[in-house]
Amino acid sequence: MSKTYEYVHEPTLVKGDHDFKSITALITDINLRPTPKAWYAAFGVANLLLLVMLVSIAYLIWEGTGIWGLNTPANWGWAIVNFVWWVGIGHAGTLISAILFLFRQNWRTAINRFAEAMTIFAVMCAGIFPAIHVGRIWVIYWVFPLPNQMAMWPNFTSPLLWDVFAVGTYFTVSTLFWYVGLVPDLATVRDRIKNGIGKKLYGIFSLGWRGSNRQWWTYEKSYMILAGLATPLVLSVHSVVSFDFAVSVIPGWHTTIFPPYFVAGAIFSGFAMVLTLMIICRKIYKLEEIMTIDHMEKMNIILLVTGMMVGFAYLMEVFIAWYGGVEYEKAIFALRASGPYAWAYWLMIGCNVLSPQFFWVKKFRRHIGLTFVISIIVNIGMWFERFVIAVTSLSTDFLPSSWGYYTPTLWDVLTYVGTFGLFFTFFLLFLRFLPMVAVAEVKNVMPQADPHNYDEEGNYIAPKVEVPEPKRES
Amino acid sequence: METQASNKTLHGVLAEFRNPKELLNAAETVNKNGYTDYDTFSPFPIHGMDKAMSLKKSKLGWIVFGHGLFGFFGGLAMITFMSVIDYPLNISGKTLWNVPAWIPVLFELTILFSAFGAVFGMFWLNGLPRFNHPLFNSERFKRATDDGFFLCIEASDPQFETEKVGQLLKNAGASAIEEVYDEEDEA
Amino acid sequence: MATDSPKLTDSVEFPSELNVTKVLFGVGTAGLIASGVGYFLNHEQFFFSWLTSFNYFTSIALGALLLVMIHHITRSSWGVVIRRIIESFSSNLWLWAIFFIPVIIGMTTLYSWTDPSYYIDDPIVAGKQPYLNEPFYIVRAILYFAIWGWLGYKLHKVSIEMDRTNDWGLTTLLRKISAPGILIVALTLAFASFDWLMSLDAHWFSTMFGVYYFAMGFQALFAVLILLAFWLRRRGVLENTISQSHIHDLGSWFWAFTIFYAYIAFSQFLLIYYANISEEVLWFYHRMEGSWIFIGYTLIIGRFLIPFLLLINRDSKHNKKLLTISAVLVLIVHFLEMYWIAMPALHSQGISFSWMDVTTMIGLGGIFLGLFFRTYAKNNLVPVNDPKLSDSLAKSYHQ
Repeated sequence: MSKTYEYVHEPTLVKGDHDFKSITALITDINLRPTPKAWYAAFGVANLLLLVMLVSIAYLIWEGTGIWGLNTPANWGWAIVNFVWWVGIGHAGTLISAILFLFRQNWRTAINRFAEAMTIFAVMCAGIFPAIHVGRIWVIYWVFPLPNQMAMWPNFTSPLLWDVFAVGTYFTVSTLFWYVGLVPDLATVRDRIKNGIGKKLYGIFSLGWRGSNRQWWTYEKSYMILAGLATPLVLSVHSVVSFDFAVSVIPGWHTTIFPPYFVAGAIFSGFAMVLTLMIICRKIYKLEEIMTIDHMEKMNIILLVTGMMVGFAYLMEVFIAWYGGVEYEKAIFALRASGPYAWAYWLMIGCNVLSPQFFWVKKFRRHIGLTFVISIIVNIGMWFERFVIAVTSLSTDFLPSSWGYYTPTLWDVLTYVGTFGLFFTFFLLFLRFLPMVAVAEVKNVMPQADPHNYDEEGNYIAPKVEVPEPKRES
Repeated sequence: METQASNKTLHGVLAEFRNPKELLNAAETVNKNGYTDYDTFSPFPIHGMDKAMSLKKSKLGWIVFGHGLFGFFGGLAMITFMSVIDYPLNISGKTLWNVPAWIPVLFELTILFSAFGAVFGMFWLNGLPRFNHPLFNSERFKRATDDGFFLCIEASDPQFETEKVGQLLKNAGASAIEEVYDEEDEA
Repeated sequence: MATDSPKLTDSVEFPSELNVTKVLFGVGTAGLIASGVGYFLNHEQFFFSWLTSFNYFTSIALGALLLVMIHHITRSSWGVVIRRIIESFSSNLWLWAIFFIPVIIGMTTLYSWTDPSYYIDDPIVAGKQPYLNEPFYIVRAILYFAIWGWLGYKLHKVSIEMDRTNDWGLTTLLRKISAPGILIVALTLAFASFDWLMSLDAHWFSTMFGVYYFAMGFQALFAVLILLAFWLRRRGVLENTISQSHIHDLGSWFWAFTIFYAYIAFSQFLLIYYANISEEVLWFYHRMEGSWIFIGYTLIIGRFLIPFLLLINRDSKHNKKLLTISAVLVLIVHFLEMYWIAMPALHSQGISFSWMDVTTMIGLGGIFLGLFFRTYAKNNLVPVNDPKLSDSLAKSYHQ
């Protein structure tokens, strides 16, 4: 009992000597300054990639899905993998804004805006894939319950239709949530901008927000309710995505842990993506005092936790595949680990289960370079997780005579790479024109915002935590 | 100048305070003095302000609940009509009333409509969008979205008297006081 | 908060006139004796009733263990004032292991996979022999309880030590234990649920089952905590410490995990129902056959719909009446669900309640709560020197 432990203080959320005014300036000046040249360069690259995507899609529509590497039995390939991957990434934003909000994790304020924007753009990238995968995209409206000349309705018991509703709702609600959060900050920019057209636009989109307490009152209530709605929504979306696989009877797909396992994986990859982008942006835009190392550490802990959840699910799958005693189920897991796609399986395990293990150590959690590398490794791993699920189960199905090895074509690759163009085009626009940190929310979690932290004369007194002297006994 | 002034109607008296605590105290004072048409303005919501101003519970929850019910039962009616009544199709040998398989869509519709209720209900209750407001005429008021803390007693208040209100706010510790006018169109 | 940090105003000693430990132990012993008599009358029924009741309480205790650890790693402040309650539940897990002994004794009655003549013609069950065999089952159970018991005991002990020494550094130790602790408990809990309940039907399997077991126990735990908090407050214990805002937080967690439970239980059902393949669907088929379907519907209504609707309003999450109704309902349905999971293995034709279901519940419940009160009353009722205590006390209810 001789070992003693140091008390670890809770970090303050905003570093440096900031008051409300300097916070406003720090964040909104990014929007008000003239556009940097580097931004144009980045935007140009993003636009080029976007063009690649548009060309790939145009050719796909012209020629048909035959340009992809799909063939019986592997009729789901990169497109579905990319869909699930992007939509998974799109889970972190709403998680940060909703779930962490409900758990009163105030540190979320530094990154929620940023992560929500990422969510929306990631879901846009995701939505493209199933839409173009349908083949005859000109009749895509059949997925909606609209009267048509065949007098037919969508099949409401089909998981693919559930996807339409789930992803559609998720996109709509995330955008609304994001916008509601933006309104007070748009008003801040409106009140600071000099230029005419910008002033009009920010004026229109801030809806005449005045920051009146009667407005805040309903606003906070609305935000709370939206968070309450978005929390089950975020769970449902990736659960529904997992249903695409899990309601089938394909070995390796049909397993009951899929819904929570997919959700954990989605949060895992989404946080990794937020970290990747955050580490770059905080540097470029000099936001290190708001997006601090402490934030990174907390996110790394979430990465570790969700990584372990994913690992838990891998273990359950393998164990139950053996325990269940079903021949096909056993075979597919043996094939995953030792068959033609074993490289992908072990890559997945390495990236998703092993790489986050570094984060047990505090020093590594606070290491920017290492975090950056692992955040990218995790997203590679999560891509391969979906690849392993989609491709191994299909290419080695019930009938060994039709087994084959699935390979993507150039067009598969180009479409995927092109979606990064779409993503970064929107993301760069966001960075340029919208406050990338929730200004009002950051102010709200500063100790200066709490009326208790002022003395009778109205002077601010910073709260202090005094660690008591321990009574050490023999 | 004279003619211009006659075109203006007084909107209210705007007072600025130094920090959230002083604003909170001032709001308490104004509330205790029986004013009803007043409001405080701050760059972020201040904890305890609702109590200081004796605000009533928001109706928003009920709006959202109503929308949610509409989403759920509307969705149920829609699916029932489409899959059971209008064009029944036997899918994987299950009953036409395959309710467990409808749950995902019903859930999403409930959330979707509830969210509409939460966002647009909030806009409606807050009187948004509104593209102009007399307070925007005040140059000082621009700081309400940055680091300013304001309280405005409006002329529509039954007790409103410019002098008396100004004195009250000054005693409450205001660092600046101005009268805000509602500018009408010259035409 | 710098100027006026709130202080503890209530006594942190358990009022001796309130000490219900002896009564509970008495009731529990009576229940156990009655159940013991049942063993000689109908040992099959006895073992199944015992297993049901045992899982009822164990799932709650495991929920408590996880909640304590979640509490530590998230450094949350809201629950500091009720943390001692949760700790007292999980600190007795090592003693609770004693009550697993009847399950070991009754193994051959409970689990068909123990019978060689059963699996000799059944290659699937025979294939599970490396896992499902008697010695390994016992070894695993010992391992589970060793891990849970140590964690629960240690977390409680360190927390008590902090009361005495005022050493905030111990919070670091608590976090260091909790982080890997959660991982290990998650794994052992899943395998324990496979062993104890899933393997009652040696054919059936569901990867979700561990999560399902956790979801049930965790929801029931909040029901227990809510009822306990009300009970304490009514007796004037911690009246000013556990405030309306803490009740509200408990209510919110309870409501959230009601939804989580529904999500997990429904997903498991939907996937199996939809795919409709014989190796899995039979489990649900048996549980929807005859009168069992009534319990099936009761689960949806009693464990999800009613609490969900009663507590949907923000104000009702601290409404004493609504919370009490929901909590009691959930605790009843928690039993029905355990019963619905375990009992069809014995009564495949339909529900057949036995008086032993009641006596084992009273017996184990009396001991479970008795152990809780014994531990709880012995120590300070709140962690008096916790760094977060004043934050927790300062929580006031907004809106």
